[in-house]
Amino acid sequence: MERQALRILHVEDDPKSAAAVAEILAASGDVLVWEDNGSAALLRAGMEAFDVIILDRMLGDIDGLTITKRLRESGIGTPILILSALGRTSDRADGLDTGADDYLAKPFEPEELVARLRALHRRSTGREHSAVILYGAFECHVKARTAFRDNRHIALSPKEFELFRYFMENAGEIVTREMLLRDVWNMDFDPQTNVVDVNIGRLRRKLEDGFDRPALETIWGSGYRLLDGRAKPQSGERRP
Amino acid sequence: MSEARRSIFTRLVVAAMALSLALLAALWWFTHQTVAATLEAAAEAEVDVDLAGLVDIYASGGREELAARIADRIALTPAEGSAPHYLLADDSGRRIAGDLAAWPDLDARVSESGVIAIGAGSKGYARAVQLGPDLRLVVARTADIDAPVLSGIAFSFAAGGAVFVLLVALVGRFAAAGLQRRIGRINRAFREPHGDRDLLAARPGGGDEIDELAAHSAAALARVGDLMEAYRDTSEQLAHEIRTPLSHLDNRLVKALEAQPEPIVAERLVEARGEIRRLVQTLESLLDIAASKARRGDRTGLGPVDLGDMVGAICELYAGSAEEAGIALEWRLEPGVVIEGDERQLSRLVTNMLDNALKYVPEGGRIEVTLDPGPVLVVADDGPGIDPAEAERIFERFYRGKRRVGEAPGSGLGLALARAIAERHELDLTLDPPREGGPTGAVFRVAERA
Repeated sequence: MERQALRILHVEDDPKSAAAVAEILAASGDVLVWEDNGSAALLRAGMEAFDVIILDRMLGDIDGLTITKRLRESGIGTPILILSALGRTSDRADGLDTGADDYLAKPFEPEELVARLRALHRRSTGREHSAVILYGAFECHVKARTAFRDNRHIALSPKEFELFRYFMENAGEIVTREMLLRDVWNMDFDPQTNVVDVNIGRLRRKLEDGFDRPALETIWGSGYRLLDGRAKPQSGERRP
Repeated sequence: MSEARRSIFTRLVVAAMALSLALLAALWWFTHQTVAATLEAAAEAEVDVDLAGLVDIYASGGREELAARIADRIALTPAEGSAPHYLLADDSGRRIAGDLAAWPDLDARVSESGVIAIGAGSKGYARAVQLGPDLRLVVARTADIDAPVLSGIAFSFAAGGAVFVLLVALVGRFAAAGLQRRIGRINRAFREPHGDRDLLAARPGGGDEIDELAAHSAAALARVGDLMEAYRDTSEQLAHEIRTPLSHLDNRLVKALEAQPEPIVAERLVEARGEIRRLVQTLESLLDIAASKARRGDRTGLGPVDLGDMVGAICELYAGSAEEAGIALEWRLEPGVVIEGDERQLSRLVTNMLDNALKYVPEGGRIEVTLDPGPVLVVADDGPGIDPAEAERIFERFYRGKRRVGEAPGSGLGLALARAIAERHELDLTLDPPREGGPTGAVFRVAERA
């Protein structure tokens, strides 16, 4: 599946941090526009259309939360990811409560930033919530809450089904621990233990039991990706 | 209603009304007694004057004349004062004249006086005299004829008293409402420290004790606000100044890894990145502990949290890890236990308790989570337990207890943070002795502050 390049506004006053983000996003083919102060960022966001805005919190002139608030007040609904050195639970809460859509604390995994930007963009463009989601060898029957691989039924517990469905909705993309905690368990922080990995491990075993191709790929430090699970992997291609 | 009843001002007004009523009742009683005594003395004087006149008539006109004059007097109803009653009788008590039916229990020979019954249900003051060897006379005045005076006084007191008490209530309420408003503003300023800043503004011409209290409160709140701001600025700067270089360092390590070094070098680089994560985590926990402690008792920003739902979701999340570790994680949660809190922080409190239990319970052990109304949240485990000597120290920052199974990883901040979060929510996190029939290891209990 060809990834759509995103047009991203990055607001960051530290050139080193800005360069690091630029490097990561250049590799993923996205178009990055950098502003090093809040006033210019507000002006730009009001004039041009972006797919996602990456916002630092502690800027020289206007802080990131105020920018978020002003953007939302002026009716700009572009997804905002706050990328900040302030990473405590309360900082995240402040950011999300102010109107940001996601929050990532420094230091971060490069893949995680990319994954979150894609997820934000997907969420904002509105995915069709169909009754059946198909991806490679996998089928997710949302209403019947059943899962299939190669037409074989896979028995999942209710929480495992939620996890599976989330992976199906984000098929082929990196899904981070924090995304899973937030969207599947409704928790806005990472408990720092291996609880997510264990749950993924259990799902993985069920999805792979009796098949010779892996179903879930672990990306070190970032998260996981659902593979298409076909006997001959054709990465990213969806079954009609 | 109960708040109104608790208000010191409501109680003061009620007390003022009660005191007014008591004073009025006492005043009425004294007035009543004085008037009654005066009326009685007047009746006595009237009886004696009347009696003296009748004795004169008897002396000058004899028995027949006396009987006739008594009849005359009975026939005349006085315009004011009490009605007279007489009985002229012979020694055997047989009536010769007068309107009293029977001789009262008064000895005429000693001119005895006293209160006697006059007709049915009426009483009066009377004096009896012996006029002759076979003739005696009793003269009486009804006393209760004076009741209208006394009931008039009582009525005046009741009506006047009602108006008086009503006025006391109105004036009291008015004065109390003013005070209540002013004290209410001070309370509101403390309750919502980030709310209206003009609540405690000086009143023009003010200067009484409450104005002084308001000024002190405004100064204290401003000081607390400044401290909180300074704390926030410092912790934000600290986080920024430490995280940003660590982030750059991490970027360099990522780039070094991308250059595909020797496996041994790559392993070291990955370890170094792990160290950076742990350092950041420790910094965050320390700042979280400090923030929670600083906001102890501050209820701003808290909302209703369904503890049953929240703890249930966390237990589900941890169930897999427990199973993998060969530990039975059981939970029994009372539904509908809702408290005012910060859901993210409370979630951290619970995950820290579960992390702690999972860290120390050996394979084959059990962790039991219970939630009861109150709220009372208990995480009990089958682990080695905690030495009572360490019971308080385990909540200290960086304290790592002896309760170890192998080398359990951890920063020694989990329980300190859990306690700080509990305190922020006016809850107590304590270590309880094991319950009968329950797990035999550590029992952590979160409950409303006693």
